[in-house]
Amino acid sequence: MALNTQTELPPDETAAILRRHETGVISLARDDDPYAIPISYGYDPDERTFYLRLVSSPESEKRRFLASTPTARLVVYEEETDTYRSVVAQGPLEEVERDDLSVEHIEQYGEAKRPLFEIWGEEKRDLDIHLYRLVAETLSGREITVER
Amino acid sequence: MGGDESTEYTFVCPECGESLDVNASMRDALLDRGCVICGASVSPSAFA
Repeated sequence: MALNTQTELPPDETAAILRRHETGVISLARDDDPYAIPISYGYDPDERTFYLRLVSSPESEKRRFLASTPTARLVVYEEETDTYRSVVAQGPLEEVERDDLSVEHIEQYGEAKRPLFEIWGEEKRDLDIHLYRLVAETLSGREITVER
Repeated sequence: MGGDESTEYTFVCPECGESLDVNASMRDALLDRGCVICGASVSPSAFA
């Protein structure tokens, strides 16, 4: 199996991938410990901002990684026959406080509700749901085609 | 709230129980897009 040269995608094609999908994997780190989870997102291409909601409990591992405003990396990828594409975004993961919510937030989080990857074993009213946004400081899309 | 209009409604999500003071524009957005906190569908009865 040979690999063709990897191609960097222009911004419009990178944004198109993010619009085609609504799920990805977000990675956090604390010291030498990694933490990666699948999430669903809404994406605003003009602001290069992702909107996501995370569920955690006060004692959870996730809460420890979210304690400050961590730098996060979000990966979205797709494969189509022999072509593989990926988008990697990196930036601070900031919590959106309830008092700061706006119409724009409601619209963006509306895009982030399907599918819910979180395994929710409790009623929603018993969950601790927090809203976050990731403003991409770096955003890159790549494509590679495999010759079989 | 981040909207320019003044608070006119109190929204209580029927699924997650979240309570938010919202203006008319936010009410319309919640009815259209669902609860901003949990994603549940929202009907006019969720506003007082």
